Amino acid sequence: MASADPFDSALDLLRRLNPKHTTKHLQSLISLAPDLTEDLLSSVDQPLSVRRCKQTGRDYLLCDYNRDGDSYRSPWSNDEKVRRMEVKANEAFDVYRELYYEGGVSSVYFWNLDDGFAGVVLLKKEAKPGNANEGSWDSIHVFEAIDRARMTQYNLTSTVILSLSTASQGLGEMDLSGNMTRQIEQELPAESDEQQIANIGKLVEDMELKMRNLLQEVYFGKAKDVVGDLRSVGSLSEAGRDREAQRELIGSMRR
Amino acid sequence: MSALETIESFVEGAPPGELADVIADIKALTVADPGLVSKLGPAFEKYNEEQFTTVRLPGSSQPIIVSSHSSLGNGRYYDVESSSSFEYDHATQKASGAQSYVLEGAQAELTKSTLKALSPYVKEHFPNAAYGVYPIENDSKVAIIIVANKYSPNNFWNGRWRSLYIFDPSSGALEGSLKVDVHYYEDGNVRLLTSKPISTSISSGTGAGIVKEIGNAEKKYQDEVNKGFTSLSEGAFKALRRQLPVTRQKIEWDKVASYRVGQDIGGGSSRR
Repeated sequence: MASADPFDSALDLLRRLNPKHTTKHLQSLISLAPDLTEDLLSSVDQPLSVRRCKQTGRDYLLCDYNRDGDSYRSPWSNDEKVRRMEVKANEAFDVYRELYYEGGVSSVYFWNLDDGFAGVVLLKKEAKPGNANEGSWDSIHVFEAIDRARMTQYNLTSTVILSLSTASQGLGEMDLSGNMTRQIEQELPAESDEQQIANIGKLVEDMELKMRNLLQEVYFGKAKDVVGDLRSVGSLSEAGRDREAQRELIGSMRR
Repeated sequence: MSALETIESFVEGAPPGELADVIADIKALTVADPGLVSKLGPAFEKYNEEQFTTVRLPGSSQPIIVSSHSSLGNGRYYDVESSSSFEYDHATQKASGAQSYVLEGAQAELTKSTLKALSPYVKEHFPNAAYGVYPIENDSKVAIIIVANKYSPNNFWNGRWRSLYIFDPSSGALEGSLKVDVHYYEDGNVRLLTSKPISTSISSGTGAGIVKEIGNAEKKYQDEVNKGFTSLSEGAFKALRRQLPVTRQKIEWDKVASYRVGQDIGGGSSRR
């Protein structure tokens, strides 16, 4: 029997183990298979950490894309080739964050590619609306903008990490946590920096709307349905009799 | 954490119905040290007993529960309903060496009457479940277990419901826990984990009385879980990210540079 690729197996394992503890599982995998360290750190999305920029006092988000060895650079300061566009993108997504999240932190990082540029848009929000009800949302949108004749090709990979929990006397503890990833490719005209940022903004906005609907469906639709499949609140024999009666009714109407 | 402890924690975290997948991943990650996987025996035993793994005896269609409460030691377990004991291989999850097992002792009657009352209750509320009742702690108490599994790996989801109750005939106390574990993993990894301690008492002390109380507790709990979904959806989820901005319109990105946070945007937002 050919043995499976260890990297694929590590990713498979991370898709199975409790997603609430991805960071811990990642550390365990790295200690077990140190060869996979760089590959795992660059391909597994973890909840984002918040730092405060020493120059501007603003909060920013850390991820593998702004990591340089042991340090992380703030998007509110620094100097690079794509810096001008990065500044504009941070301002644009700051507006986006306020409109959709009404709080939280956002950070955008850009870097150069040979045939265009790439970047990551990060958004994080934590909420405690009360009654032991709490949650956190982390969005990680990684994109490439590749120059084509007249057009720019955008490749976007988006992950949302959503953790929710609640507790009460009658309920005990309930935790609903996880992550979902989706990808999209699109060609759009982009003749200016402003248009580049607008294109990325639209792609991220549409993706987040799609993913929010998907998360709602999986978390509150699918998961709830499976609980109902495991145990039926009502009597199964009555439900069976009702179905039988309905079948007979439909049958008699057809005759 | 040692390498063995690491892979033991992976086994412990295997979602319902996915132990074999987790073991395959562990094997691929430890090819350099193939002896490691052979040391997972105790972890498999712990997993199977805690998860109330079910097994079918050769020639039978009835699922039987593996748990610490039905353990006879030396890898053997028993089942009251089928009056049999068997050897269980924790690594392959297979049963063998079935023998007749006759229940005796002070709690034998209560065990059988509880089992008799439990059967129609489980059939009425669990489409696919195994259950068992076992005298424990030197015949001083009775353990009652219900486990329901539904696996749909082709659709990337699996689920498990676990009920455990310990009835103390001397005090009438019924203590236990209810747990639900649902895993959804299509282009992602989403997990529902719930846990609720149960503590109540039964005045009649009969099997029928115990099962009636279990029915009440489980109905109440399932209603609470359904309310929990609504509360998370209406509470934390909504508080994290809006579906659309207050203006109910998507952002005009070509004008975004002219937006001023808290000024031109947000319509009726509280920031104004």
